[in-house]
Amino acid sequence: MSQWTIIWRKELLELARSYKLLWLPLVFLLLGVSQPIMTYFLPDILANAGNLPEGTVIEMPKPQGGEVLAQTLQQYGMIGSLIVALGFMGAVSGERSSGAASMILVKPVSRAAYLLAKWTAMLALVWGSLAVGYLGAWYYTSLLIGEVDAIRAIQALLVFALWLSVIGTLTIAASVWLRSGAAAAFSALGLALLLSLTASFLPRALAWSPGQLPGLASGFLLESMPEAAGMIIAAGAVLTAAVLYAAVWRMRRMELP
Amino acid sequence: MSALLKAEQLTKAFGSTQAVADISFDIAPGRCTALLGPNGAGKTTTIRMLAGLLQPTGGKLSYAGLKPGQSPNSLLGYLPQSPSFYGWMTGREYAVYAGRLCGLSAAEAKSQADSLLERVGLSAAAKRPISGYSGGMKQRLGLAQALVHRPRLLILDEPVSALDPLGRHEVLMLLRELKQETTVLFSTHVLHDAEQLCDDVIIIRNGEMALQGSLEEIRNNHRMSVITLHTEGDIRSMQWCMAYQSGAYVKELRRIEKGMELVVTDMELARGELLRQLAKDEIRVTKLEFGHSTLEELFMKVVSE
Repeated sequence: MSQWTIIWRKELLELARSYKLLWLPLVFLLLGVSQPIMTYFLPDILANAGNLPEGTVIEMPKPQGGEVLAQTLQQYGMIGSLIVALGFMGAVSGERSSGAASMILVKPVSRAAYLLAKWTAMLALVWGSLAVGYLGAWYYTSLLIGEVDAIRAIQALLVFALWLSVIGTLTIAASVWLRSGAAAAFSALGLALLLSLTASFLPRALAWSPGQLPGLASGFLLESMPEAAGMIIAAGAVLTAAVLYAAVWRMRRMELP
Repeated sequence: MSALLKAEQLTKAFGSTQAVADISFDIAPGRCTALLGPNGAGKTTTIRMLAGLLQPTGGKLSYAGLKPGQSPNSLLGYLPQSPSFYGWMTGREYAVYAGRLCGLSAAEAKSQADSLLERVGLSAAAKRPISGYSGGMKQRLGLAQALVHRPRLLILDEPVSALDPLGRHEVLMLLRELKQETTVLFSTHVLHDAEQLCDDVIIIRNGEMALQGSLEEIRNNHRMSVITLHTEGDIRSMQWCMAYQSGAYVKELRRIEKGMELVVTDMELARGELLRQLAKDEIRVTKLEFGHSTLEELFMKVVSE
């Protein structure tokens, strides 16, 4: 078995023992399931709120299944990315400052393998959690709201998984470059926010920006896809690879306590 | 005998502070070497460079018997000053993990881990999480994980400094056994530990080499004859001591409470002269010792120069 696999298995064991393997999918599932349920019961909730004048008539257009799933993805875009950043902000800096990393990296272990094992463990958990939550949302949407085109839904899921991978990769890279976990989470979220804000303010100039990824994911569900779908996905993949490469570069030169 | 590890003009600067400057030494196979120096002398920095955790800013490190493409770290076992483990792992899991990372097969890693944990006296605690270990247990687990791949050179940074007397004794006993099997380099600021265990010493001071060689050699070359005189402390004796005129053979004269201490070049001459004078002036001597300086004194002298 390669070193990478050995470290990867240790990472997964750590995620399990620290219960991240449990609560991350749970949070995604809760967020995902609550969206269709809330939408379904919203008229009843409003009617029973009690602070509306007598005789108020509430009429709401019944949303499409795709819209509800797109709203779920919006939730994941905000709270989901916060959780990913908080969950992995100390991936490297924590082990580095405690000295645990020195004990491991003084062995004949490649630093790239050490980092890549952490990165893939992060990806596995993030994708898994997202898939679990999204499937839950999809199930309740088709049950309560209406059918969603399966191919569209899966395309949206994959594109959104890429966006969360960008955020997770930024977080892990920041935890290599910065000593403080809070600073790593802050800069990863800040960069992600910057990407998506610039992409939405300058949709033409930044048509290929990876910041368009969340919009593209919703676009699949709302059937209003941007034209440059392929380029956006490619840009997201390239950004992930570049950030990862920078992290490995830094890792190789890092001085350890 | 060719050196297992050769350090040539090893230098490390952090910004404008020179932590280690131009240190050269050889570690011969099968020897136990102590890296001695006061706190802040650059011991840990030197050891971190040897372990590959820090990049030297100058100089060269070469390991003997390294196959092309082989990482020098595969020859090394390393234990930092305060080892830090994954608290959620058990002692055995960590030892097995360390073995696997060093390229042992799963079965090999398990049997190595079990026999080493047994050896360092952690068998009973092997299945408990490391977060509940005491400082001494962590140190012993640290030794086990450093030895798991049978390293040719074991590097230990202050292995006993943080331990209570009992833990210290246990770890020193372990090291005494280990030095029969492998080459050991350890740093310490306690001379006594070095004297008990090692064959060679390297003394550094302010990041510079102060003295190096085998313990025997240093003892012989730097041994000084010392005469210590204690009197009853009465006025006449004290006055005699104050008025004592040193002869040409006295290199150094120190007043101590109720007496004096002489470092002499010619012991025979000094002994005769002093005894005659003491007898003639009827000094109330309580204790008179003709001996040699200890390593402790040499160490103090070297590091405080």
